[in-house]
Amino acid sequence: MTSISPDQWTSHTRHTLKRYDETLLRQLAHRLCKPRNQWPVSELLERVVTALNNAAMIDRRLKELPAACRQILAIIGQSRQNRWPVGSLVEIVVALGHEDGLAPLVTLLESGLLLPELHPLGTSPDEEKSSVRARLKSVTTWLSRTEPPPMLLASPQVTRRVHGEDLGIVCPVAPAPEGKLAIHEADGLEWPLRMAVLWQQALGAPLRRTQQGGFFKRDHDRLQADPLLSAAPTDALTLIPDPGFFTAALATSAGMLREEDAELRAGDWPADWKSPLPHAVLRCWHALHEVRAWNPGQGYVVEAARGNPYPAAYLLSLLLLSRLADDEWASPQAIEEWIAARHPYWAGSKRTDEIGIAAFLLGIAYSLRLVQAIQGDAGAWLLRLSSLGRWVAGQTEAAPTIPAFKQTLLVQPNLEILAYRQGLTPELIAQLSKIATWRTLGPACTLLLEPHSVYRALEMGESQASILQLFDSHGMKAVPPAVLDSLKTWSSKRERLSVYPAGAIFEFGTPAEMEEAITRGLPAVRLTDRLAIVPNESEIAYKNFRLTGTRDYTLPPEKCVDVDADGVTLHVDLAKSDLLLETELQRFAEPDTEGMTLRAAGAGRRAYRIKPASIASARKLGLTLSYLETWFSQRTGLPISAAALLFMTAPQAGPVDIRRQLILHVANEHLADGLQQWPSTRALVQARIGPTALVVTEDDLTLLMERLKELGVEVRWEV
Amino acid sequence: MIEKAQTRIPVKLHRNVALIQTEDAVLAEELLAHKKMAQDIAGRLSERILLIRPGRVSAVVQELRRMGHTPQVVS
Repeated sequence: MTSISPDQWTSHTRHTLKRYDETLLRQLAHRLCKPRNQWPVSELLERVVTALNNAAMIDRRLKELPAACRQILAIIGQSRQNRWPVGSLVEIVVALGHEDGLAPLVTLLESGLLLPELHPLGTSPDEEKSSVRARLKSVTTWLSRTEPPPMLLASPQVTRRVHGEDLGIVCPVAPAPEGKLAIHEADGLEWPLRMAVLWQQALGAPLRRTQQGGFFKRDHDRLQADPLLSAAPTDALTLIPDPGFFTAALATSAGMLREEDAELRAGDWPADWKSPLPHAVLRCWHALHEVRAWNPGQGYVVEAARGNPYPAAYLLSLLLLSRLADDEWASPQAIEEWIAARHPYWAGSKRTDEIGIAAFLLGIAYSLRLVQAIQGDAGAWLLRLSSLGRWVAGQTEAAPTIPAFKQTLLVQPNLEILAYRQGLTPELIAQLSKIATWRTLGPACTLLLEPHSVYRALEMGESQASILQLFDSHGMKAVPPAVLDSLKTWSSKRERLSVYPAGAIFEFGTPAEMEEAITRGLPAVRLTDRLAIVPNESEIAYKNFRLTGTRDYTLPPEKCVDVDADGVTLHVDLAKSDLLLETELQRFAEPDTEGMTLRAAGAGRRAYRIKPASIASARKLGLTLSYLETWFSQRTGLPISAAALLFMTAPQAGPVDIRRQLILHVANEHLADGLQQWPSTRALVQARIGPTALVVTEDDLTLLMERLKELGVEVRWEV
Repeated sequence: MIEKAQTRIPVKLHRNVALIQTEDAVLAEELLAHKKMAQDIAGRLSERILLIRPGRVSAVVQELRRMGHTPQVVS
């Protein structure tokens, strides 16, 4: 759950009320602050928002409401979670012994003490998109919708006012054994550690989901049989079904895995992991309420469409335990029976199997350090809330302090790291998960430093220095020289290759200008004497620069080349050209400094010349005619020049013939046509090489002269 | 001094460029000699700088990793 400040709550309340229909808003205002005048809507809205921040007014309204309303608000406050599905709240109200589970929620919604989630908590909706038709007119109509399931929000300002409300429930107390009790309390790290292992595995191979919401066989098998994820917890009082699937569901709800393209991929580490253990446990507790693909009764289930009784049952179990006095203990089975008898999902049904609440308390709540355990007289486990559990269940204000043992790592020469659990913290688990691969989980966990794990850490923003600093500050001994050498080698190997996925390259006119820009603070890496790259464009102070041209490489290639009449001289418009063009041109043309006119040079242009030799060498390196045709089309907007085509295709053309021929030049085209058509002369004409020029052979010359004489054409002979 | 600070440096800006910078020219040659990699290289800007074809960065990074390199992705 995201932590929301009072100001954000006020803003969210205002945005939500803006989406109320006027009639509904007036009814709400009448119930909440009872305005005496007919205020305009905007004024009324502000009065309602002010009233929801006025403790005295909230107290007055709460006093007028039925006990069930105050109880459900108190429970929401104690859950430390201000956002709950309507279904779970209805189940809790019924389990408290009230006949109608929905009525208190409707009353609270109509009084403004509960808010419907009309847009995600912590976000600002687009007011303009909120049409009049989409306004909330009736809370009962809104509550009856099914998809997405309606969620209710309770402001901490309101829930705080009923914190001590009597819930009317009593936890069944079990007799504790006499004498000094051996109290068991877990370290709370079991599930955070498993989530870290799964996060690491998902980095390498995401978990693929089927359309039905299950897992593909390979990933199903991984979650079922992975030696770390499927093993019994180090310190648990009972086994839970399908622990691997539970870890996946919990990590997804906690945001460590994110669903993308039908895959569960490793996400970012939640911010709570940088806080002490109680906050990470609280996040797990909240994430537990959103787990749908697993429950302690059946284990892994392909997500049900709707209806999940477990969030309410988990909360009820902790609330029951919170009713115990300091020296009292309860049997988890008795708590399960209490819930099964009162929770509307199970109450009245003829169950033969367990619903899993005892398994939840012994297997999950205990491992999360929410409860302490002792063994009763008959050997069965008895429970009560731990100090962390009391804080999570809203019974204490401040989170308990967990003792810290900073020196807990032992880095060994064989690159193995021993991590003793008593010194682990969520933050250290997160850091280690980036640097090394988890090998075993136990009282002492082992990890292995590997080239790819160190590389992964470096890619995630760590450095060789920060890794060593971590080992120094948490290590029990100095880092062995072999490990230092390996870290150095792996880190320096990464320095050999840098990839800039979307950098901004500055192309300067002279090296001096580039030096000047860097002196002025351009955060650039030098590429050549005139080129420098800035990895992140947002870091550029553009006030220092005059852009002579801009080119975006995500756009298609631009036309920026003119072809001279000779077909071989190419003039590049430097304002439009890009870096790719230069490299493309260098494949088949040569810079032409001699042919560049002064006018063209002054206008920011550069010339290249295609030469037979440059094309020949390009052909040897794999340049094809189709590439050149496409290049001309993209870069010049014209077809390939005849000269360039000549250079490309000449070597494949057949041999040329050189021969002597007699050319008959006639006075006009008609004469030439006639001579080609008349059967008496047709055979004497070898070829026509122009409109009025015909080729004849020396052997046929005499006969042709006779035919021309016969036609009355005068013949002139030129030698 | 004030005048110099106010002078804007003329520059041509190439945005969203994807490239590989290698430690030395030999490594760049090695990459160009790799058939699959060469297909995604649009050109060689200098002896240590290779331009990547637009939209092929992730394929290039994956291929580099497959080749056993550990590229530093700078963004």
